Amino acid sequence: MHLSLSARLALIFSLITVLSLSLAGVVLFNALTHQLLGQSDLALQLKVRHLCQLAGELDSTLAIRDHQERLVALALGDPELALRIETTEGTVLIDHDPSHIGMIALPAAPACERAASGPVQHWSAAGTVPVSGVASMAKLRDGSGLKVGVARSMSDQAQLLNSYRNIIFATVASTTLIAVVLCYLFVRRALVPLRAIAASAQSITAERLDSRIDVSSAPLELHDLAQTLNAMLQRLQQGFDRLWQFTVDLAHDLRTPIGNMRGASEVALARTRSATDYRALLASNIEECDRVTRMIENVLFLARAESPQFALHRSQFDAGEELQRIAEYFDGISAESGVQVQVSGHAQIYADRELFRRAVSNLFANALRYTPRDETICMVAAESTLGASIRVQNPGEGIAAADLGKVFDRFYRGDEARSNSGTSNGLGLAIVKTIVEIHGGTALARSEVGTTAFELHFPAFRDGTAAGSI
Amino acid sequence: MRLLVIEDERKTAEYVKRGLEESGYTVDVANNGVDGLHLAMENDYELIVLDVMLPRLDGWGVVKQLRNSKETPVLFLTARDDIDDRVKGLELGGDDYLLKPFAFVELLARIRTLLRRGPVRDVEHLSLGDLEIDAIRRRVRRAGQRIELTPREFALLYLLATRRGEVLSRTQIASHVWDMNFDSDTNVVDVAIRRLRAKIDDAHTLKLIHTVRGMGYVLDIDEPD
Repeated sequence: MHLSLSARLALIFSLITVLSLSLAGVVLFNALTHQLLGQSDLALQLKVRHLCQLAGELDSTLAIRDHQERLVALALGDPELALRIETTEGTVLIDHDPSHIGMIALPAAPACERAASGPVQHWSAAGTVPVSGVASMAKLRDGSGLKVGVARSMSDQAQLLNSYRNIIFATVASTTLIAVVLCYLFVRRALVPLRAIAASAQSITAERLDSRIDVSSAPLELHDLAQTLNAMLQRLQQGFDRLWQFTVDLAHDLRTPIGNMRGASEVALARTRSATDYRALLASNIEECDRVTRMIENVLFLARAESPQFALHRSQFDAGEELQRIAEYFDGISAESGVQVQVSGHAQIYADRELFRRAVSNLFANALRYTPRDETICMVAAESTLGASIRVQNPGEGIAAADLGKVFDRFYRGDEARSNSGTSNGLGLAIVKTIVEIHGGTALARSEVGTTAFELHFPAFRDGTAAGSI
Repeated sequence: MRLLVIEDERKTAEYVKRGLEESGYTVDVANNGVDGLHLAMENDYELIVLDVMLPRLDGWGVVKQLRNSKETPVLFLTARDDIDDRVKGLELGGDDYLLKPFAFVELLARIRTLLRRGPVRDVEHLSLGDLEIDAIRRRVRRAGQRIELTPREFALLYLLATRRGEVLSRTQIASHVWDMNFDSDTNVVDVAIRRLRAKIDDAHTLKLIHTVRGMGYVLDIDEPD
């Protein structure tokens, strides 16, 4: 069930009201019933006792018949009362029942000197009329016993209780209704600021991500919510801005190779050329296609790596050995650039080997691009209790402090003129960062005058079986 | 050898057919899954190149029905690169897959590998003109002269020699020789080839390592046309 918060609160409140009012009604009703019954029972018992005393003054059962009129008049005087007097053998001496209550056989309390009455019995006459009755044994002067029973219809009391019960029902129902309505109105009123927040959230679209929810006008309880929403908007806005920038950069970078292909093809078609020229054109077009393909592959890799379903194929290996391997892979171009490579250290690492290679290769390729001739690039693997760390350090101009935070951004290039765009697509370091982050690690760039270092930290593996084994 | 290409993108089908025919295969083309499946059931092809996204009946459907009666090797072409898709293709009875966009030499290499059926045997002795390769002792001689190669240079030369006459892309070379299975934006392979050439070819008039611009490298006595 999807009820609104106001309706839900009103419902809960009305339930509480109904329950507490009903409880009070039941308690009051029971108390009244108890008291009324107690009073009428006492009256009956007194009546029986009185009759027994009167009977005790008579000589024999015959005298009862003689004094019937007197006894009835004495005892009753109330048309609702019924009286039955019988001998111990069961012979009915008096059976006075003007309102046809229908006396039942009542257990009689034993006779004693001080005439006592038995417990009051309750039954229904003719199935509907409630009746109370009590009987007692009386002793005549001649020693014979008599059973005296008195009963009374309780319909007047029942009526009283009934109307009292109806009043209780009506009170509970109407009070509950009033409580629900009032509660609903007050809750709605209390939730007005929440609706205001919802309304301002509704007005926020991708084009208007800069608007924020007014925190100051919200009640204290909702400050946290408003602030959290604003922080979320802030993050969304940043994400959107980044995505927008990314799209612009991507389009720009795609334009270059496509422009090259189109331009070169147009020029070639402008006049008849030799087969060699055409071949050169086609080969150049393939190179441009390769650039585009690489860019698409890189962008797709970044997109997939950030999706939660991306599967890492982790294994445990020595990062130092992998560094050696990568240095060997770049052996040729390092030598051609006149750059030495120094690899040192070992570190057990639990990572996706393929992605690890890709990350470190990108770092190395980046370092090579900025290292002057006859200098040395250092690659160091180190292990601590926190995990494994990889450092790729190269001498060079360094990165300005203001740009350090941006080097891992997509399409960021140190050289504004994009002179390298043929060899670097500006995604290399973004891929490094993404790879490290999906391993739960961090990527850092440090730069001082004359040297730049990139550090990758991979967290220690959880099972710990191989930690510290080297 | 007769191949079937099932591909709905007209230009792709056209150049794949032409390229394969020029590499010595007879090629039939179908533009949708239903026609493709029909052709595949009627004829005995050596291999089927099958696009996944096809009108009327997709690649999965084609291979599923084909496998009820035929064991023709199937090479999937797919623009999707989810691991799940690849696994699905292989589970349904595909034999290999290639991601679009692909380099034609890569397609050719995959087709050749599938048609070879069974693993490539390591050859102990290879010779090409006056070049001799002793794979066991890892020694190389040219015109009787011993040439010293680093292990990676030897691996590179050995790869080119076993695939004599076959153009190998930079990606293939990086993957085979260095086990680097991603495109780095560097010219590592070009430099490695240059250094290998300096040792193998520079002192001789007959060049053996040839560049096929835009595609890759090939080892052969004759220059490729």
